Amino acid sequence: MNPRILVVDDDTALAEMIGIVLRTEGYEPFFCQDGALALDAFKSAAPDLVLLDLMLPGMDGIEICARIREESGVPIIMLTAKSDTADVVKGLESGADDYVVKPFNPKELVARVRTRLRPASDAATGTLTVGDLELDVTGHEVRRGDTKINLTPLEFELLLALAMKPEQVFTREMLLEQVWGYHYKADTRLVNVHVQRLRAKVEEDPDNPKIVMTVRGVGYRAGSSA
Amino acid sequence: MRDFDWRGWGQRVAALWRSSLQLRTVAITVLLSSVVVTVIAGYMSLSLGANLFDASREQLTRTSANATLAGQQVFDAADEGLGLEDLDIMLREAAGVIEGAASSTGGTSYAILRSPNQDGARVPSNVQSQGLASDVLISPELRETVAASTDKRTYWQSVALEQSADGTVHPGLVVGSTLDIRGAQYELYLVYDISDTQDTLVVVQQTLGLGGLALLSLIGVVTYVVVRLVVGPVKLAAETSQRLAAGELEVRIPVQGDDVIATLARSFNGMATSMQQQITRLAALSQVQQRFVSDVSHELRTPLTTIRLAGDVLYDQRESFPPATARTAELLHTQVERFELLLADLLEMSRYDAGAVDMETEPTNLVRLVEEAIESLTSLAASKGSELRLVAPGGYFEADVDPRRIRRILQNLISNAIDHGEGLPIVVWVDSDQDAVAIAVRDYGVGMTAAALERVFDRFWRADPSRQRTTGGTGLGLAIALEDAVLHAGWLEVWSDGDNGSCFRLTLPRTRGIELRASPLELPPNDDIPSLEASDD
Repeated sequence: MNPRILVVDDDTALAEMIGIVLRTEGYEPFFCQDGALALDAFKSAAPDLVLLDLMLPGMDGIEICARIREESGVPIIMLTAKSDTADVVKGLESGADDYVVKPFNPKELVARVRTRLRPASDAATGTLTVGDLELDVTGHEVRRGDTKINLTPLEFELLLALAMKPEQVFTREMLLEQVWGYHYKADTRLVNVHVQRLRAKVEEDPDNPKIVMTVRGVGYRAGSSA
Repeated sequence: MRDFDWRGWGQRVAALWRSSLQLRTVAITVLLSSVVVTVIAGYMSLSLGANLFDASREQLTRTSANATLAGQQVFDAADEGLGLEDLDIMLREAAGVIEGAASSTGGTSYAILRSPNQDGARVPSNVQSQGLASDVLISPELRETVAASTDKRTYWQSVALEQSADGTVHPGLVVGSTLDIRGAQYELYLVYDISDTQDTLVVVQQTLGLGGLALLSLIGVVTYVVVRLVVGPVKLAAETSQRLAAGELEVRIPVQGDDVIATLARSFNGMATSMQQQITRLAALSQVQQRFVSDVSHELRTPLTTIRLAGDVLYDQRESFPPATARTAELLHTQVERFELLLADLLEMSRYDAGAVDMETEPTNLVRLVEEAIESLTSLAASKGSELRLVAPGGYFEADVDPRRIRRILQNLISNAIDHGEGLPIVVWVDSDQDAVAIAVRDYGVGMTAAALERVFDRFWRADPSRQRTTGGTGLGLAIALEDAVLHAGWLEVWSDGDNGSCFRLTLPRTRGIELRASPLELPPNDDIPSLEASDD
């Protein structure tokens, strides 16, 4: 079955054009033009990925993003007309995985979509441990003792990338390439924001992280196994 | 040393003189008034002195005349039969009478001298007060005049009386007259000390001097107060206009009363108000305009995205189109790309105009940044036949800059150099000193005219409109680069020599907050690059 993609954008021409591009690449697009209807559309379409315009009538894109995150870890890619405003950070903080700046070209869009929909890394199977956490790589599950921690696929991948090479210090650029699939200089705020979101979920004290450690001036590494 | 101090002091006074209208006005007024006061006081002192002397002389001559008369009466009343011996006694008696009649406040001395060249007995002999130096005080000329007189009147002469007690000199007056003793002519001289008249004159002069000084200081104070009254409002107006110029548009001068100063204040305030309105209006207008540009840029993005997607879809399938349609798809593709770049630059420019730019500084190694920029442009340079070369004697440290903006400046400068480099090598210099780090991009191509140099940072300005652009510049690149440099408190300068290419130099402070004074790299550039010739073969 083709992956289903929900396109939330009030500009019908752009939505239709994105639909054409996606269909050419073998995805099945659904559309929603009104922010207020986006959540219903999300429930009825049950998409594998959401393309979300930030400026929408009805309900703000950031708000929609946060609402979707409350019930699902489905990848969300924001479509934004502004690359350097606080909106991008706000969108990422409310749960968007990635963003594309208008005007984008089809290849850019498809590359972002493809990265988010690719099957999880096959390199590792079985279980890994980070600190007092247990990662079930095959089942995409993270547990602390008996408690299951819900992570979005992106957050899981981020944690997995760090956990697979516990000795390695990852720069933000390395993580951007490995987790987000950027092969050129990209926005390091993506990493910063998602490390924070991840810490909020997996750390017992996010101000004093034990799982995702900061290496000052370089980047991040996994905490040592207890 | 002392000379220098004097000069410094003099300069300070001169500076104060130039800068203080109050000092100048008060000084000039006091100076002119003191001339007037001196003239008046001098005249008054002279005329008072003369009057006092005349009055005193007149009084003393009168006293002398009376004394002479009294003395004469003593002899006239004397018995005819008196012997010569008795005459001596009588002369002393007369001298006593004369002394009593001629007594004055300053003290009086007398001398009764027989006129020379007379026949007859030399009796009685001369008498005079004790201690009177008659030879010195009574000049021969006076004696001659008195002796020769026949009309019984008095003659006078001013003399200086040396006091035997303390050696001081008092002014004196000698009054001479004649006595007739038994047919023989005697001269009577009365010497008066008129130092009390002199004392009166000194007191008057002192009073005049003190009065003059008091008058002068009063004039000084009055002038100071008056000038203050006038200068104060002017000073206030000057200060207020300075604050206005500094941007405090709401300051005004307080208006008091209805006089000229108040009129000045009112018209000044009126000017300030109309200026404030104009500025506010212009600021609002410019804000509206910037907002409009920014909105337009944003609004254009959505349709542009659609066009871009459509164009790319067509472009990807161009091989299946007939040749004309395929070329159309290609043109659409490249022009949309160009349009997009233009829009991005326009948006960036509008952010600068609106003052809505944030720097995201991080410690950045500029040499590495330059290396990256060169690497990304090597293939473009190669397609034009230019070689990119890096000469970096310095700059190997982390400077506090916004790497995104510096990268953009470098991309722009290097691609411009490639565009105008005529296929000759392009050298990028990096050097640093303790305050600054500089990057210079030097090409050896066509260069620019002096007129072009002046406009090179202008928006949408192109050196040669007919020149084909391969790097697809928008015409905003250098304008944005300049804004980026200014945002870093840095400099972006250009040098060009008609046929010898151009050099753009970017100088940035090593850390934020340092004010640039000099650049580590020279402009016009130093062309001693040993590797340049070596690599030509």
